[in-house]
Amino acid sequence: MTIREKVLIVEDEKSIAHFISTILSSNGYDPLLARSGAEALTMISSHCPDLVILDLGLPDMDGIEILRSLREWSSLPVVVVSARSHERDKVEALDLGADDYLTKPFGTAELLARVRTAIRHTRTTSPSGEIAQRGTYTVGELTIDYNKHQVLVRGENVHLTLSEFRIVALLGKYAGKVLSYDYIIKELWGPRAGGNNQILRVNMANIRRKIEKNPAEPEYLFTEVGVGYRLAENE
Amino acid sequence: MPHNPQKNRLFPISLRDFLIFAGIFACAIGVCALLRVADSSDGFASPVFVLAVLLISRFTNGYLFGTLAALLSVVCINYIFTYPYWAVNFTLSGYPLTFLTMLGVSLVTCTMTTKIKEQERLRVESEKEKMRANLLRSVSHDIRTPLTSIVGATSAVLETPGLSPEEQRAFLEDAREEAQWLIRLVENLLSITRIGGESEQLAKQEEAAEEILGEAAYKFRRRFPQIQVAVSAPDELLLVPMDAILIEQVLSNLLENAAIHGGTTTKINLSVRREGNEAVFVVQDNGRGIPARELPLLFDGTLKHSETPAGDGKRNMGLGLSVCMAIVRAHGGTMHAKNLSDGAEFSFRLPVPEKEFQES
Repeated sequence: MTIREKVLIVEDEKSIAHFISTILSSNGYDPLLARSGAEALTMISSHCPDLVILDLGLPDMDGIEILRSLREWSSLPVVVVSARSHERDKVEALDLGADDYLTKPFGTAELLARVRTAIRHTRTTSPSGEIAQRGTYTVGELTIDYNKHQVLVRGENVHLTLSEFRIVALLGKYAGKVLSYDYIIKELWGPRAGGNNQILRVNMANIRRKIEKNPAEPEYLFTEVGVGYRLAENE
Repeated sequence: MPHNPQKNRLFPISLRDFLIFAGIFACAIGVCALLRVADSSDGFASPVFVLAVLLISRFTNGYLFGTLAALLSVVCINYIFTYPYWAVNFTLSGYPLTFLTMLGVSLVTCTMTTKIKEQERLRVESEKEKMRANLLRSVSHDIRTPLTSIVGATSAVLETPGLSPEEQRAFLEDAREEAQWLIRLVENLLSITRIGGESEQLAKQEEAAEEILGEAAYKFRRRFPQIQVAVSAPDELLLVPMDAILIEQVLSNLLENAAIHGGTTTKINLSVRREGNEAVFVVQDNGRGIPARELPLLFDGTLKHSETPAGDGKRNMGLGLSVCMAIVRAHGGTMHAKNLSDGAEFSFRLPVPEKEFQES
């Protein structure tokens, strides 16, 4: 008998909760439902789900608050659901420790991809916040060699600078996940680097020119407009 | 920095107003000093300062600087330009009268100026209101059609016994397509609310143009996999100050128009380049082009939803283009459309500050 992963859906809209739980249960997950923030917090402690899908707009409390109180004691993966035009909410949620986000409206494929990625990451990521990592990460024709501090495209070293390598290494560690601009900047240049996105933009442009065939049609390094960057994940 | 009249309208403090105040006041003192060299009587000082108070009251916002000017003028006239010079003489016979005149001029002018500005604001607001009402009307009209077919299709599935699974599927696919169209409509409406009407409210940041292009193309390909999109951006990184979400919306709308209204479109070229102090974004398709009759009307807002013939049963491009236009304009840019030998070309230009990015 296989153990189905429990996914807690925190959503007050019945129809949305219904379709998410139908899709999840037909794809081998065990969905649980919470209709309010208070219920969600109780269910998290009593059912110990493997993943939480959290709508940021709940009737009784702000989804961000649930995330904040959850992060005080648990690193349980959380995927937040928010509307497209609220990219500040997404950034805030990511910076508070959400693992990923879904933009309303979303389709089946997107939902399942986010759920799969978020659950996998809890299994592979070590709790330490260091960028340093051993071994290699490969997606398509791109390989990040963490031991040699190199990035290879079709087997050739693309000669990234140290900053560029650290950005790719960081994105590779969380491949498939969006990392917010601020998070990347803090990880690379320290908490005092401030909100200067430009240095990051310039570095990203240089990296794209080194690893992508056409920088305007990226295969590996994706931009989530207004939020951050994401490295492609191997399926 | 443009002044925001909404905040503290009676006694606003702004650098611009202070400079106007200081400038005009200095001129008045200068003129009086010059006149005194030419003529030793004191009679000219009062009218010159009255004029100064009037001008200051007229060209600054609210009552603060006008009143200040009136007070200072009285002091100046008394202290510098009336006998005994360089001494305050409160016993001077006309003193209270001068002061009252100055204050009167200042208050009357300030009141009038404030009123004129208020009326101007109301006029702009009512125009905006009218535009919103028009938009609301045409949008409600546009929403009704897809809603009707969604309700129709789902009712058909629910209430018709014995429908084959294929027929059910066809109805559900229709409903989904209509719902997706509604989603895009709502996203356009949200973009309008995000602009808010005044350009200084845009959350502009320097964004890499290629990132926005790449994202728009990526999303477009998922929706229209049968249409080829070629994306090109300059070798040198082009950073453009923009609200990235809005510009992505413009590109998505233009791409979607090219696919749907181009009719026979199979290929789209999406590109960005720098021309002087402008970033030029271009969307070219190989469809059947823009009808010559509509071309001059595309951007002036007169192309009403109901006026464009929805010949192929698809909805017209009125709303999408007005949104593009509003977004580009809020960025201080311009929009253009023309027909190519095969297909159509839509482009927009955004201002780019003149500076070099050689940092790495």
